[in-house]
Amino acid sequence: MLKKILLPSILFILGYGFWVSPDFKEIAAGVSIFLFGMLFLEEGFKAFTGGVLEKLLQKTTNKTWKSLLFGVVSTTIMQSSSLVSVITISFISAGLVTLVAGIGIIFGANIGTTTGAWMVAAFGLKVKISAYAMPMLVFGIVLSFQKSKYLKGIGSVLAGLGFLFLGIHYMKEGFEAFKDTFDLAALAVEGYPGLFLFAAIGAAATVVMQSSHATLVLILTALAAGQITYENSLALAIGANVGTTITAIIGSLSANVQGKRLAGAHLVFNLVTGLIAIVFISQFVWAVEWVSDHVGIAQDDYTMKLAVFHTLFNVTGVLVMVPLINRLADYLFKVIPEKPKDLAEPLYLNDAVIEFPETVLKSLKKEVWHLFDSAFELMAHGINLHRTEILESPDLEKTIDEDREIHEFDLDELYESKVKILYGAIIEFISHAQEHIPSLYAEEMFRLRKASLEIVECVKHIKHLRKNATRYMLSDNEHIRVEYNHLRYQISMILREIYRLRNEDDFDHALAMLEIDELKAEIKLEHKQLDGRITEVLRDERITPLMATSLLNDFNYVDETARNLLDTAQALLVSHSDLVAEAAQEVVLDEDEIDEASAA
Amino acid sequence: MKFSRLIGKSEKIVDSHEQGHPVESAKLSKLQRLLGEKISRYQAKLEEMDDPKKRKKLQTRLKVVNAQLKKSKQLSAR
Repeated sequence: MLKKILLPSILFILGYGFWVSPDFKEIAAGVSIFLFGMLFLEEGFKAFTGGVLEKLLQKTTNKTWKSLLFGVVSTTIMQSSSLVSVITISFISAGLVTLVAGIGIIFGANIGTTTGAWMVAAFGLKVKISAYAMPMLVFGIVLSFQKSKYLKGIGSVLAGLGFLFLGIHYMKEGFEAFKDTFDLAALAVEGYPGLFLFAAIGAAATVVMQSSHATLVLILTALAAGQITYENSLALAIGANVGTTITAIIGSLSANVQGKRLAGAHLVFNLVTGLIAIVFISQFVWAVEWVSDHVGIAQDDYTMKLAVFHTLFNVTGVLVMVPLINRLADYLFKVIPEKPKDLAEPLYLNDAVIEFPETVLKSLKKEVWHLFDSAFELMAHGINLHRTEILESPDLEKTIDEDREIHEFDLDELYESKVKILYGAIIEFISHAQEHIPSLYAEEMFRLRKASLEIVECVKHIKHLRKNATRYMLSDNEHIRVEYNHLRYQISMILREIYRLRNEDDFDHALAMLEIDELKAEIKLEHKQLDGRITEVLRDERITPLMATSLLNDFNYVDETARNLLDTAQALLVSHSDLVAEAAQEVVLDEDEIDEASAA
Repeated sequence: MKFSRLIGKSEKIVDSHEQGHPVESAKLSKLQRLLGEKISRYQAKLEEMDDPKKRKKLQTRLKVVNAQLKKSKQLSAR
């Protein structure tokens, strides 16, 4: 309902404003150009989020102070707290950073946004900024027509800055001209009523423009032109901070639980900070004077003083909130609970990560491991063993020989409900992600898609094996029983080894990947021996020709399953962050080399 | 520097970044050291091992690690 009324109202007010005042038109155009510049800037920085930013985010969020610093630095460089928020939400959703670290980043981003006010106050309003805007726009647009993603990115950043500067120029010009016809400062309200009124105006302006940065620049330009009083500008700045929270909340309505929690943290932070600023306004004003005196800001340089105020109250907010960060996270977990997820549902795939390639790959890898876990359970039961027996038995061969319990369950039904749904979700996510991420990551995506398919194939092979394995593990014919138990052992041993290698720490993943080659050769050797034994027992008529046919067929299923499982493990154990992983990937043996190594 | 050369050079940098770098020799030597250690470990185990079935398996593994070491040395030599 609100949305339906809001847009026509805004359009009507703007239309009326344009009709009565050409200066208002200039100011509004300035704001629009500024916002357009921000869009360009965000688009440009996204070109670089493919690697550096994401890697940095992962490495620098293990401690709260590092998360804070990341928030400050990244927002200062990109001048967009919303882009930082989006990346943070995507990382939390993918389980790559904790909510506490995410909250730290958001707190830091609040300090980072204050640098924008400094730049505009110190530079944007004191020089003829449009002179810089024009060449930036020209170079930016030329570069953004280039084929290379990075040149395009640089182009968008340059064009974005150009538009920002041009927007500031128009706002400045508009306010300068406006004061000749209409003195907005005459509408100033003093004291607490003014504080609340202008804070509300600041919040409303930010909700409409969806950017506290734009509101702040508008406040600074109006202040520089003398259209608002210094006192009211402070209230407007407080309102802009609160308004950005409302924007974040509106944005989080369609976001996942992690996005909602982070928006919740943002809301609490900005409300607390706003409240502190309003309650202690006189102390803040005194502090601003004190800082200004000490850093040499002129008495009448109100725009710089506003920048000092903006920084001071945001830093105060961070200082107050940081000690409470863990409690805040606990509270948000409680207030915004996550629905318990069915294991058949994807746990790590989230559309929020789709534009960040490194995160996409990490989430995908986690999800394929999740698929492996689901398939592991089905495969274990398919060969009538418990998962714990495979993973924990001190003598696996003996356990398999002795355990004759038949696991009664419908493998088809479980395949449909536990594996197929997850596999479908992975494939759908990959197809969707391929539209967004650069070709550089295509090979890795293909590898993960193949790994998922191989896992599914393994379950299908076990489904075929299950019938005879169940039948012959209870057979009175010892020879066929031994051979089928051997097939069961091979599957179990591979599953167990993959599980062990997977749990090695990250550094050893490269070696684990190479150890899979050893397993492949070992399995080949065993299969050659098994092949010989089958011929032998058949020749000696210890098993019937019917049994031999079944055994040979099932042997092929086991062979395929072993190969698929080991290839999958190798694909999943690739770790780009590891020092020797890259080298290990080159050294992995091919089929012929393994054949050679396993030859007698 | 001429403008066309500057553009050419920046394109080259971007292309090499997009295609990825060949494996550095430092990484390969580290891997070779690790594989060498593994070979010594396997050889020591093999000397203590009596069970012919287990010996055969370990010998196969040893052959694989040797093949990997050989391959990594060939990569270094390139």
